[in-house]
Amino acid sequence: MGKIRVEGLKKSFGTNQVLKGIDMEVKEGEVVCVIGPSGSGKSTFLRCMNRLEDMTAGQVIVDDQDINDPKTDINKVRENIGMVFQHFNLFPHFNVLKNIMFAPMELGKQTEEQARETALRLLEQVGLSDKAEAFPSHLSGGQKQRVAIARALAMNPDIMLFDEPTSALDPEMVGEVLGVMNDLAREGMTMVIVTHEMGFAREVADRVIFMDGGYIVEEGKPEDVFGQPKHERTISFLEKVLKA
Amino acid sequence: MKTIRVLLFTLSLLLLVTGIPLGLESAEAEPATGKVYQIGTDITFAPFEFQDVDGKYVGIDMEMLEAIAKDQNFKYEIKPLGFNAAVQALESHQVDGVIAGMSITEERKQKFDFSEPYFDSGVLMAVKEDNTDIKGYEDLKGKKVAVKTGTEGYSFAESISSKYGFTIVPFDDSSQMYEDVKAGNSAACFDDYPVLAYGVKQKNGLKRVTEPTKGASYGFAVSKGQNQELLEKFNAGLANLNANGEYDRIKDKYISDEGPGSLSRSELMKQSIPPLLKGLGKTLIYTIVSLFFAFILGLIFGFMKVGRNKWLRGAATVFVDLFRGIPLIVLAFFIYFGIPQALGFKMPLFVAAVLTLSLNAGAYVTEIIRGGIESIDRGQMEAARSLGLPYRKSMMKIIIPQAIRIMIPSFINQLVITLKDTSILSAIGLVELTQSGKIIIARTFASFDIWLMVAVMYLIVITILTKISSRLERKVRHG
Repeated sequence: MGKIRVEGLKKSFGTNQVLKGIDMEVKEGEVVCVIGPSGSGKSTFLRCMNRLEDMTAGQVIVDDQDINDPKTDINKVRENIGMVFQHFNLFPHFNVLKNIMFAPMELGKQTEEQARETALRLLEQVGLSDKAEAFPSHLSGGQKQRVAIARALAMNPDIMLFDEPTSALDPEMVGEVLGVMNDLAREGMTMVIVTHEMGFAREVADRVIFMDGGYIVEEGKPEDVFGQPKHERTISFLEKVLKA
Repeated sequence: MKTIRVLLFTLSLLLLVTGIPLGLESAEAEPATGKVYQIGTDITFAPFEFQDVDGKYVGIDMEMLEAIAKDQNFKYEIKPLGFNAAVQALESHQVDGVIAGMSITEERKQKFDFSEPYFDSGVLMAVKEDNTDIKGYEDLKGKKVAVKTGTEGYSFAESISSKYGFTIVPFDDSSQMYEDVKAGNSAACFDDYPVLAYGVKQKNGLKRVTEPTKGASYGFAVSKGQNQELLEKFNAGLANLNANGEYDRIKDKYISDEGPGSLSRSELMKQSIPPLLKGLGKTLIYTIVSLFFAFILGLIFGFMKVGRNKWLRGAATVFVDLFRGIPLIVLAFFIYFGIPQALGFKMPLFVAAVLTLSLNAGAYVTEIIRGGIESIDRGQMEAARSLGLPYRKSMMKIIIPQAIRIMIPSFINQLVITLKDTSILSAIGLVELTQSGKIIIARTFASFDIWLMVAVMYLIVITILTKISSRLERKVRHG
């Protein structure tokens, strides 16, 4: 049984159809990397999985719950799906600790004591124990993104969605973020990662999905997609990316 | 919970609009002691009505009305509204009668019933005190003559200007006109006889050089067909006052011979600062009360504007467009004169003033709140929602606290604008700082000194507010 099941997913912005019919499944503990040229619909696809975008047609089923069903409490579903954004989106008026503690406390999941304990443990996990009292504006991009990952993990989710988590980072900071993600993958977290980091995808992913023009063009094990791409568009995309 | 609170606010606002006037009306209409007539008047028409040093309304009209009421045994209450406002208030039945040195004209007779005329006006010419060259109209050839727009003096000057070969310089205000003559820009001025005579008596620096022409007569007015018993009493009382010489005594007190000397500057300041400060206090109170309601309106409509319901968004847009699109003074006239006339009730001035300012500022505050919320990056809301936080919690805990920092300078700016806008409401007779200044000038003719003091008072208060604003802005920028 898939952890996430996507069936016939379509999404239009006005007259512009971005997703033209997506079917796929993510199994429990699986790490799926989504690659493809910009404008191919990767991010929109990811954002449909926790309904940050309302879909135009089709179904997304998470843990056997249709997330579009009016009877489904989308907030409950989201508690179980952590999300990490390209631009971090830390809360600038809270310090690092409060950023992480905020949601579990506000939603009554943890007491202040528990939340603080969790937050400190997560900060240690992402290597930022010394930044607990800092405000986001005083952190580097890589540090911000690691705090953002800790914030998402604080809700203790089963699934993590990453939307180009390293695209806004200076090159020297990409490694520290990918390192944290790599650890998560090893621990068995179910992850869907939209990324341009081909090396990371090749190393960490259980499965790679190549998207173009609103469709899934090709998918498979990383060694297959990167080693022997079948589809012409995949080949030309990888040529361009790997050459650069 | 939220909806209930919003409802309560709306309700209290409605109560403020409708409840208070109803309460006042029932208090006035006590049958046992007889009706208390509401009499509208001008605020600054010396020598007929103006405030003395103690803030009491005095003048020919005031003393005459007092004597007539005593003679005829009726009760009344004076509503100093300003001339145009008083006339409109009579039309919209906000007052029972108007006594304001009002000329009896054919046009006005269409709408009002007038008493017997009690004062014959006319036009008088005056020149600078030490001017000995100009003794009559013939000496005006090639010179400039100051007149006040809309007065008999203006029409008279126009009618003889080509004959005597002088040019007309129009002014809006008697004191400005006198200043122009004193400064030597204009050789002479024409003004309504009683006004000019009173000015000369107050040592305004001019002297009379002609006898008054035959002009219009002043009368007391009630709405056509209404309050006839009041009109009859007025006429009967006036006849008695004329018979026993009381009326002449009142008239002479204001416009016959030389009166007391004019004030020195320090005396003037000593005398004027307390009422001006009182006016400033009123200005601040109106500003604060209005902004309080404007803030509530802004919160309601601001959230409607950023919300997801298209009907609520539309309603909020209409609100903003409507009250941003109507000039404040038109809105004030509409609320104070228009609505009560259409619906047939009396609206207290304070309520009308606060309502006008609240609606106007409310529209702007709505936009400040909308702009503030929309200036927060969309990613903040997405991050909060992706953690499982509901929309309202995300709004209150994540978006609003950040938006408020951005809004604070705009709020202070609106505070400054609303504070200045209160002066516009002097047009419906609201006594605040500007109106207080007008009142003192009507008595003393010291326009330069008084307007300077008024300007400085506004300046001080607004500068303090602007300083606070920039300090807050700096604080916000540096976290």
